[in-house]
Amino acid sequence: MADGGRKHRVLIVEDEDNIAIALDYLMSREGFEHDRIATGAGALDKIRELHPDLVLLDVMLPEVSGYEICQEVRADEGLADVKILMMTARGSAMERRKGLALGADGFIAKPFELKELREELHRILDREGA
Amino acid sequence: MDLTRLSLRIRVFLFFAALAAGNITALVAGLFYGYERLGDPSVLNAFIIGGTVAGFVILGLIAGVWFLFDENVSKPIERLAGVMRARTHAEIEGELDQQAARYLGDLAPAAAAVTQHLAETRSALTEAVQRETSRLAAEKERLEALLSDVPVGVLLCSADHQLVFYNGQAVDLLGSSHAPGLDRRVFDYLHQQPIAHAYQRLMEIEDPDAASDLLCATKADGKVLAARMRLLSEGEDHHLAKRPGYVLTLRDVSGDMRAHAQREQLMDELFDRIRRPAAALQSLTGVLTDDNGPTGPERDRVRVAARSEARHLAEAIHTLFERHEQNRADWWPLAMIRASDLGDAVRARVAAEGGEILSVTAALMLRCEGFEMVALLAKLVGHLTGRKDIRLEITEDGAGALIAIEWVGAPVGVSELERWLEEPLDTGMPDVTGRRVLTSHASELWPEPLPDGRGRLCLPLREARLVTSRPAPVPRAVVYDFDLLAKAREAEIVDSKLEDLTYVVFDTETTGLLPTEGDEIVQIAAVRIVNGRRVETEIFDTLVNPGRKIPPASTAVHGISDAMVEGAPDIVEVGRRFHKFVEGAVLVAHNAPFDMEFLRRKELLIGENFDNPTLDTVLLSAVVFGQSETHSLDALTHRLGITIPEEARHTAIGDTVATADAFLKLLPALRARGLTTFGEVVAEVRKHGRLIRDLND
Repeated sequence: MADGGRKHRVLIVEDEDNIAIALDYLMSREGFEHDRIATGAGALDKIRELHPDLVLLDVMLPEVSGYEICQEVRADEGLADVKILMMTARGSAMERRKGLALGADGFIAKPFELKELREELHRILDREGA
Repeated sequence: MDLTRLSLRIRVFLFFAALAAGNITALVAGLFYGYERLGDPSVLNAFIIGGTVAGFVILGLIAGVWFLFDENVSKPIERLAGVMRARTHAEIEGELDQQAARYLGDLAPAAAAVTQHLAETRSALTEAVQRETSRLAAEKERLEALLSDVPVGVLLCSADHQLVFYNGQAVDLLGSSHAPGLDRRVFDYLHQQPIAHAYQRLMEIEDPDAASDLLCATKADGKVLAARMRLLSEGEDHHLAKRPGYVLTLRDVSGDMRAHAQREQLMDELFDRIRRPAAALQSLTGVLTDDNGPTGPERDRVRVAARSEARHLAEAIHTLFERHEQNRADWWPLAMIRASDLGDAVRARVAAEGGEILSVTAALMLRCEGFEMVALLAKLVGHLTGRKDIRLEITEDGAGALIAIEWVGAPVGVSELERWLEEPLDTGMPDVTGRRVLTSHASELWPEPLPDGRGRLCLPLREARLVTSRPAPVPRAVVYDFDLLAKAREAEIVDSKLEDLTYVVFDTETTGLLPTEGDEIVQIAAVRIVNGRRVETEIFDTLVNPGRKIPPASTAVHGISDAMVEGAPDIVEVGRRFHKFVEGAVLVAHNAPFDMEFLRRKELLIGENFDNPTLDTVLLSAVVFGQSETHSLDALTHRLGITIPEEARHTAIGDTVATADAFLKLLPALRARGLTTFGEVVAEVRKHGRLIRDLND
């Protein structure tokens, strides 16, 4: 729960439908308000529109990469409080560094167990100021 | 009688003598005939007196004419001929003296013209030969430089597999502890079978252009080398008798092989570790999604199983990916390059395109493909238009390094950067993009905002180390003696010609003169003589830890102190290496029994016997100069006009080189005394009494 009893709002940016099903399930179970967009192209507008607490952002997206979205979110002062958790199918140490350098708050490599993702979500959301 | 065999002057003299005799005979006959016709005996006296006077006048006239002819024709002709011969054969130059032959008409000027022309032709020829020789020498030098620079090891071997040529890279590949030497068998360094087999195959093919690729391993350290063998064709091997020699080019593929094996192993493991959980998952999901599937506790069991298989699968992918990441840099062979060199290269390249950057680099060695990295960084800088104060910084970053391009001005977007990375780089090779360079370095590139309106691009490199001193350069010299291709190999050393043998001339420095009382070797130096030539680069020179104190008196002689030998290897190790070095050679030393005694006392420890045939320059000097002379090394080298630089005297290598040079000058002297084979020399040495013990018993 966010401060004041408001439900956390999460935006899932993920093009793989099967993973999205699992993510949807997890968000519901955690009691988060959630929404999903399957392409990178409209993601930034959606983030601005919804202003979620956290964006669960896949790196490998068609058209616009997750890194690019991450960089643009961080460049937008109005979105300074939006947390970003990046997910990648490659998960190399260099990608992790790149993601964190571009302003991501966390980084998780696929495949992951829902439990791991859940812990990472709470670590970021429950941090001070979240 | 063949008159042509007589000299010209004699023949002319005989001609005049015959003329005189004929005239006298005609005179006597004429007078006799006149006297008979007159029939008056009272005039006999008058006839005799008249005849005698006429005879003397005729003789005088003929003698006078002969003398003039001899002086002015015969002698000048002989002299002219002699002079012409001298000018033809003895190559004397200069004007011909025409005064003496002034009565020979045009002969002298004609001869002068001929000799003059001969001299001119000859000097033109000499000049042409000299020009061609220096052109060939320059060409040879360039070829040597080129061959010493080719990045693969090159060996040229005779049909008997003896080394005739090798370059510095080959020395490096074959193992520096057992450096190659001319006229040694290539099988001393490389395992025999693959090479002998390839040679056999090429001989059977009978195609002069055929080459055979093979893998072979070094004997010293088991390095795997990829080799290519090509037989020498007739043009390249002038001495081609029946079987040709061959060229071997060598490349170290141990790293490639290891990487290949690792990759193979990883692939095998990948399939192994993924197949099982994937198969299990497929079956389990089949069960779970079955309409008539299990229920209750049975269903729970299947779910737990599916979950555990999924976990195994995920774990396998993560660990294998991690290993893949770790190994990737090894699979892509990257050299170490100095950060400052990289910075300079980028700066130069940017400057060449009209740009300007500052480079600030830490003292690091970076594992990266320098050329591609420079192209990538220059390309990135080229795209940073409108930004100011661009600088390249290379700093330490964990186990690696961080390459950063900083600037003042607008930030760079990830998408923009991605587009730059897709562009081909100016490397002259197709398909090389920035993205590919990043992949081959297992790296990434991203932009970062910095305070004060600055920004930077970050490119981490996985591996770097602090700069130590530059490694010793690869020896670049090429070493060769193509005459070895034609060398006849005698089965018996005693019948071998002296110039055909390979010699190792050596000298030792010791703690003292008495090996029986515990004196030990502190230094061994040796050089090789192959085909009558000292091979400048094939040198053995090492200090030996004697395992005891060196008396100051000995240190005063050879300058080797306890401190100098402290870290040196002991005689067992040095002895083994030395044994390798002298393999197949005749040992030569000045006062050989002294040095041999020290070595032979250690044979048991070393585990090798020094039973090479041996020559002693003291004894050879006695054979050549007689026993009454002094045969010290100083006296011998002085006699032979060899100078030992003062700083080299009494160093093992200085004395060795002097002994070797003296030995090389003694060889022709021995030949001049009719001693051409090793056996003859040894027999002669023995005949010369035993100044000191002969070691070839």
